[in-house]
Amino acid sequence: MPETVAAVSHLTRSFGAKKALNEVSLSVPKGAVFGLVGENGAGKSTLIKHLLGLWRAETGSVRVFGLDPVSDTVAVLGRIGYLSEEPDLPGWMRVGELLRYTQAFYPRWDTAYAEQLRDRFALDPEARIKTLSKGQRARLGLLAAEAHRPDLLILDEPSSGLDPIVRRDILEAIIRSVTDEGRTVLFSSHLLDEVDRVSDHLAMLHRGTLRFCAPLEDIKARHRRISLHFERPPAEPPNVSAAIRVDGAGREWTVICDAGRIHAAALAQHLGATLVEDTAASLDEIFVAHAAH
Amino acid sequence: MQLVERLKHSIATGAIKAGEQLPSVRKMAEDLLINPNTVVRAYRDLESEGIVELRHGSGVFVRESVEARADVMRKAEPIMRSALDRLESLDLREDEIRRVMENELGLRRAAKEARKRRA
Repeated sequence: MPETVAAVSHLTRSFGAKKALNEVSLSVPKGAVFGLVGENGAGKSTLIKHLLGLWRAETGSVRVFGLDPVSDTVAVLGRIGYLSEEPDLPGWMRVGELLRYTQAFYPRWDTAYAEQLRDRFALDPEARIKTLSKGQRARLGLLAAEAHRPDLLILDEPSSGLDPIVRRDILEAIIRSVTDEGRTVLFSSHLLDEVDRVSDHLAMLHRGTLRFCAPLEDIKARHRRISLHFERPPAEPPNVSAAIRVDGAGREWTVICDAGRIHAAALAQHLGATLVEDTAASLDEIFVAHAAH
Repeated sequence: MQLVERLKHSIATGAIKAGEQLPSVRKMAEDLLINPNTVVRAYRDLESEGIVELRHGSGVFVRESVEARADVMRKAEPIMRSALDRLESLDLREDEIRRVMENELGLRRAAKEARKRRA
């Protein structure tokens, strides 16, 4: 069994009558790039705030590095690098000042590495943070999150609203983190193509509940897209027990199944249809099916 | 999956030659911006197909026995290009072309398997 970096067990969080998280249990294995997907308001940021110890678990438990991030804040945060969608950086500070300020919190801050990143990102140490573009601000946030070589890098919608070059910098940071032996990344995103290329574990939240959490390969192997052609348009959408989404009209129907490889030809025959195609469902199709299910 | 296909293509066309070493997992992952496990899996798949060998401690090498299919692949390219030109002139989109292609290949595969079963 791989070591676990973060474990959430039966975590529930309510805001008034709305359950932002409902009985969520998942674990993040060491060395993983753990992608967290879901629509806006699905609970991704709420979950991340619990991992960072910003919020206390109302019910259930949260452990990071085996510790409670609320009572052991210093020990936990010292080993985490965090970048949010809108990095909360003090606008009046200069870039160099912010780096010195951040460095003070992290005994393991790597000055040479920070300098190398600052150079690569073309961040002027004399520039005031409020004068930086959105992209440069994101780079600065990334640098501050990465330069102490954290055991766990947490990125909350890091690519949101950024141009492709800055997005590339962020993906590079993710890959760099895991190729450095033993480090772990958790990132939330709504850009499924990014999630697909860099993650090896994937969890999906939908309205506060966990729809799935597994190695990406397993998720892809489990979901199939089956296209069917009917000689005569069926009166009702085809009824398939393993289906999480049935889509179509008239003679052409598509079924997304979450049941591993099923005997698609037999299924088609049973429904009185011809099998047009039986392929792996794309991540987009999986996401849409689970969000509508 | 895609990476395996790309590497096979590079080896078949001679862009990566027999005996040559493939980039390390780390370099490949960082260059292509993909998860290192994807690279590991691709290398393992190529190994199980006998295309590369893993030499412990030194890396992944293309087997000497792998014969470049460069000539055949070069012949395939113009055929593919003219087919694509004609398909595009029908206003087919990329995903539609891919679907037609996959479907045709699938049908051929199924027919071959059926023949094998009958034989």
